Amino acid sequence: MLNERQLDELRATLGPDRIITGRSQLQTYECDGLTNFRVLPEAVVLPRNTEEVQAAVRFCAKHRVPFVSRGAGTGLSGGALPAAGGIVISLARMNRILEVDIPNRLVVVEPGVINAQVTQRVSPFGYFYAPDPSSQSVCTIGGNVAENSGGAHCLKYGFTVTHVLALEVVLPSGEMVQLGSPTLDTPGYDLPGVFVGSEGTLGVATKITLRIVKRPEAVRTLLAAFHSIEAAGQTVSDIIGAGMLPSALEIMDALSIKAAEAAVHAHYPECDGLLLVELDGPGREVDALMFEVQELCKRNGAWEIRVAQSEQERALVWKGRKAAFAAMGRISPNYIVQDGVIPRTALPKLLSEISDMAKAAGLRVANVFHAGDGNLHPLVLYDRAVPGEEEKALELSYRILHLCVENGGSITGEHGVGKEKQEALGQMFSEPDLATMQLVRCAFDPESLSNPDKIFPRPRLCAEKPGPYVPHPLETAGIAELF
Amino acid sequence: MHSPSVLRFEEAAEHLSAITGSDFVRLNGAKVTAAPGSTEEISAILRFANANGLAVTAMGGGTKSSWGNSVAADIVLRLTRLSRLREHAWQDLTCAVEAGCTWADLQLALKCHRQMVALDPAWPGRATVGGIVATNDSGALRLKYGSLRDLIIGMTIVLADGTIAKSGGKVVKNVAGYDLHKLMIGGFGTLGVVTKVNFRLHPTEERRNSWTVRAMDPMFFREGLAALLDSQTVQSSIQIRTDGKRFALDVCVAALPKTIRDFGDQLQQIFRNLEIVQSSEEVWREREELFMRGDALILKVSMLSSQICSSTSNLMKFAAEAEIDVAIVAQATGLMMIRLSSSAESAISFVDRLREQVEGAGGRVVALQIPEMLRERLDVWGALPSSVELMREIKHRFDPNLILNPGRFVGGI
Repeated sequence: MLNERQLDELRATLGPDRIITGRSQLQTYECDGLTNFRVLPEAVVLPRNTEEVQAAVRFCAKHRVPFVSRGAGTGLSGGALPAAGGIVISLARMNRILEVDIPNRLVVVEPGVINAQVTQRVSPFGYFYAPDPSSQSVCTIGGNVAENSGGAHCLKYGFTVTHVLALEVVLPSGEMVQLGSPTLDTPGYDLPGVFVGSEGTLGVATKITLRIVKRPEAVRTLLAAFHSIEAAGQTVSDIIGAGMLPSALEIMDALSIKAAEAAVHAHYPECDGLLLVELDGPGREVDALMFEVQELCKRNGAWEIRVAQSEQERALVWKGRKAAFAAMGRISPNYIVQDGVIPRTALPKLLSEISDMAKAAGLRVANVFHAGDGNLHPLVLYDRAVPGEEEKALELSYRILHLCVENGGSITGEHGVGKEKQEALGQMFSEPDLATMQLVRCAFDPESLSNPDKIFPRPRLCAEKPGPYVPHPLETAGIAELF
Repeated sequence: MHSPSVLRFEEAAEHLSAITGSDFVRLNGAKVTAAPGSTEEISAILRFANANGLAVTAMGGGTKSSWGNSVAADIVLRLTRLSRLREHAWQDLTCAVEAGCTWADLQLALKCHRQMVALDPAWPGRATVGGIVATNDSGALRLKYGSLRDLIIGMTIVLADGTIAKSGGKVVKNVAGYDLHKLMIGGFGTLGVVTKVNFRLHPTEERRNSWTVRAMDPMFFREGLAALLDSQTVQSSIQIRTDGKRFALDVCVAALPKTIRDFGDQLQQIFRNLEIVQSSEEVWREREELFMRGDALILKVSMLSSQICSSTSNLMKFAAEAEIDVAIVAQATGLMMIRLSSSAESAISFVDRLREQVEGAGGRVVALQIPEMLRERLDVWGALPSSVELMREIKHRFDPNLILNPGRFVGGI
């Protein structure tokens, strides 16, 4: 808990207009997109520049107050959930694009810049910023950095980490450091590589150097309707097997099509497995490959194939896909968005197991997934008003994750571990793996102040001696041997 | 920390023999060489070394063992026995391979399904996965596919205390936990010994075509290169090279035949006043060729991609004035390799000048191969990164007794 004196100190340091302490205003910050976890912060600070972030973080370091940095709060794993007794550092006011360097294909931004604004800014030059999470019209680059956000097009273009070259970071001590460089391969550990995706646990990014990509000459989007998800999944394998690398390969099942139709009227065909394929590149090449894709769809029994004929049609196709999560509200009072990854080839097996599990639990599961990279988003539908159904839904969603790990996959492909999946991380990694990750945490944040109690299954102190092995004194003295 | 006198090397060799079997341990003066056969054996060796303060260096083909500051290792771990392709999930476009596998063997095995790890490091016939990872080597394909950080999806690492840790996994899309493997890439073996690497794969480039544009000065390439990079055709590779006399710009595109034809026409348009010829795959080995002269200084320079033509031009002028024999292969990504043959004084002033030129914009100059006469006089790594203290802290957490390649890395890490 912060006392009045400490709050006064914070006000004096940053200025009263940079701090929120009123209860009703604080409630805006009590959760992120994962709304079933809520914690009211003690205060929210709204810095306008790196120095103010440093001042806020130094205050936290001095008083050992935990802090959580936050962008737009669109995360789906509770990553921006405030720490009890701590403050939230909202980066919403640090929203300037600082530099656009077209010859070197670089853009430097502050963390509060919205993802889509980067593309807007560089599109007159024929470029775009590739990571495109579904929330891209509102989510911030700072949040994308924390979560290593992906999106539908990361199959071809990679994730946030692929596009971050350098970062200015305020460490949990309040010290400011530069990680990485706009030039490649500068000597030293790849600190941007480990910082991106660390979910705000290693410090606060205050400036980010991004790589932008030339907009391809042509983009073609195809929708194919199948009688089953398996047939759609097989087509995905065939496309990859043919040596193509589409920019997106998405599958939706009947339930998610129904929800998306109800929400945005994307004019999807009613079917059990809808495949969306997007190819981009030189026009003639894309046309030739699109023909090949259509043949593969037909071979797997597609009964309707549509190629978007205009940019407007293409945008509508994507609008339906990107609205799929939110659209679930149209067909179910409540739902849980899950995010797991499996090797693509395990898809048919896993889908039938999910379907069996859903039946056994008496719940409906809608499936939307980035099929090209095996990233599933099962949506477990339930009604909170029915006693016990929420618990059942939660259990089912965790069992689906477990299934992903058993099949050689991951508990999260893009939403992050955050608060939601701390325990599940222990299913995926052993104790020595987690202890090794903790070494990185402790190098950046020995006091565990930056977004504490997230990601890892149990809180750990940096003074704890991790690692499975401490040599016995007899062994060190050469009296006994281990073997 | 280093106390070989306490423990005689014979004893160390005996200990290591108990781990790997005596066939795989050799005592070599003041150095023990061991060839462990598994991750567990490496773990046992590192536990032993850590407890006894013995410096360890891991080695594959040894093609880049001179890169970085020199290390006086007590134990050399040869990873040659860990050379199997453990898994090739070709339908998932992933594979898992042991660190001692040579790059050529790996690519050959993947080729049966027309797949590859989209990276073309130097000396593929001898260089191993582990060494390539440790030095973050990459070649001309980087322009299109990125570097190891974009291609590695998981790793098994043995830490200095013997802890075996896994990072990432077998799927391309995965944000669970910290990406420890990112720290290992280019970490010069100072944080752990990599024993297994999981890669994402790409289809092989079936239809490649390379062209070479020639000019008398690299500045003639400048506008054309900018136009190429700004064009919507994705090139696999672009490099500028010079042997000191003539200048060439090589470009490679992999695409369907008609796209290749279109691109050829585009190239004629872009460089309409210059000579353009079809070229062979051999041009992409020019970077490796620079190292053929074993007594030359080889520099790796990181700069902004927009700087490579003007830098090449300036450097060649300076070299001509100072009578320095220079050859350059510069990738369009802004990574440049320079071979330098000159007196010690000239070489030092060349490096100083170059560092002055690029460090301001965040670039760096690293000396990869240093002739004996310069070893003591030339700083291998150049200016320290601003985050060097954080790097030291990471090193300290991972390897508190400083046994893994001590001193080899930037900042004496």
